[in-house]
Amino acid sequence: MELVRHGDARAFEVVFDRHADAAFSLAYRICGSAARAEDVVQEAFLSLWRTGVRYERARGSVRSWILSAVHNRAIDALRRELATTSRDVVDERLAEQLRSPQETDTEAERRDDARRVRSALEELPSDQRRVIELAYFGGFTHSQIAEMLGLPAGTVKGRMRLGLTKLRLLLGGVEGVLG
Amino acid sequence: MSDRESVSHTHDYGEDAAAYVLGALDPVEVETFERHLEGCTECRDEVTALTQVATALPMAAPQHRAPKSLRRRVLAAVQEEAKPITSEQPQTRAVQGRPSRFWRGALLAGACAVIALAVLVGLDLSTGSHTRVIQAHVSGISGSASLHLTGLRGQLIVHHLSPPPPGHIYEMWLKRPRRAPAPTNVLFSVTSSGEGEIGLPTRLRGVTQILVTPEPDGGSRVPTHAPVIVAPLT
Repeated sequence: MELVRHGDARAFEVVFDRHADAAFSLAYRICGSAARAEDVVQEAFLSLWRTGVRYERARGSVRSWILSAVHNRAIDALRRELATTSRDVVDERLAEQLRSPQETDTEAERRDDARRVRSALEELPSDQRRVIELAYFGGFTHSQIAEMLGLPAGTVKGRMRLGLTKLRLLLGGVEGVLG
Repeated sequence: MSDRESVSHTHDYGEDAAAYVLGALDPVEVETFERHLEGCTECRDEVTALTQVATALPMAAPQHRAPKSLRRRVLAAVQEEAKPITSEQPQTRAVQGRPSRFWRGALLAGACAVIALAVLVGLDLSTGSHTRVIQAHVSGISGSASLHLTGLRGQLIVHHLSPPPPGHIYEMWLKRPRRAPAPTNVLFSVTSSGEGEIGLPTRLRGVTQILVTPEPDGGSRVPTHAPVIVAPLT
């Protein structure tokens, strides 16, 4: 990563190859469109390259930074699109995004990490999992989710908190899941 | 603050930490909660713990292989932009030829000093053309900033600038008359002493102001904070 910061294109290629699949998977999960997901991932990686953003080990891994950048951009893109789409339709589409015909084998370590996180998420009570997914992958605010599900805003926030707290216990500390 | 006040203060925001790390608070709530975090250790600890969990959530997405066309596109752009630094004068051209990659760190301090000297005498090292210096207005944070324009190239140079808040990065925007600020790919931080040299985008047609705002890591598509740097281009 130090070499990337100093403009080494080959070092950047290594970083891209290591994290592009996870980045694309996240963007595709959020955007529900391969074309939009590609745009989002391209923006995020080129931003990393062009700005030479400071990589501070104490603040997380390179993968965390890239995935955070992808998440922010994908949610922004989704919210812009949502401005012209009804919430019900979006909620249905979110469900459709859960599986994709494009899913292929990836490197074993990442697949294991993904399986571990998905398994933990699936162990949550469905009402807690639902609000977490709507917020993180759907880009909805707690008040939008409350309106969508017909719940008080406090209940939605409470479920988010319970869900994340339980997820933390299930993962037993997530160090290593995002390397 | 007394213990009782502290408990009450914390209780008011007790459910917000999870919504905050999931990005589910609206912008006004985010500002309010972040002000609260400055004085509440309990909520800060909860945010830290839950953020660790949230960083694992991307892996819950079904995993796909990134398209090869995407790889080709991204790496072609990178190779194109990397060309100047593989030329015969790597150090000088690295700074002059790739203005958008501003952050060089302490190792480039010497090179920056050379460039700064060139700017002081009003000359560009590679072209010999004149450099125009425009003072920028800094508000809400400490430090100073100025634009240095040489031909078609430009840099924003900052001194003693406050770092962006934790979890944030500075983002540059281009303001054109009667239009909302347009985002750029220029995201930056500063050295521990607040120094930085940031390349301007090359397409500045019609731009009247360069703006800088603190944004969440990764940047934003629309500004979420008031500008901390405003630099007139006209």
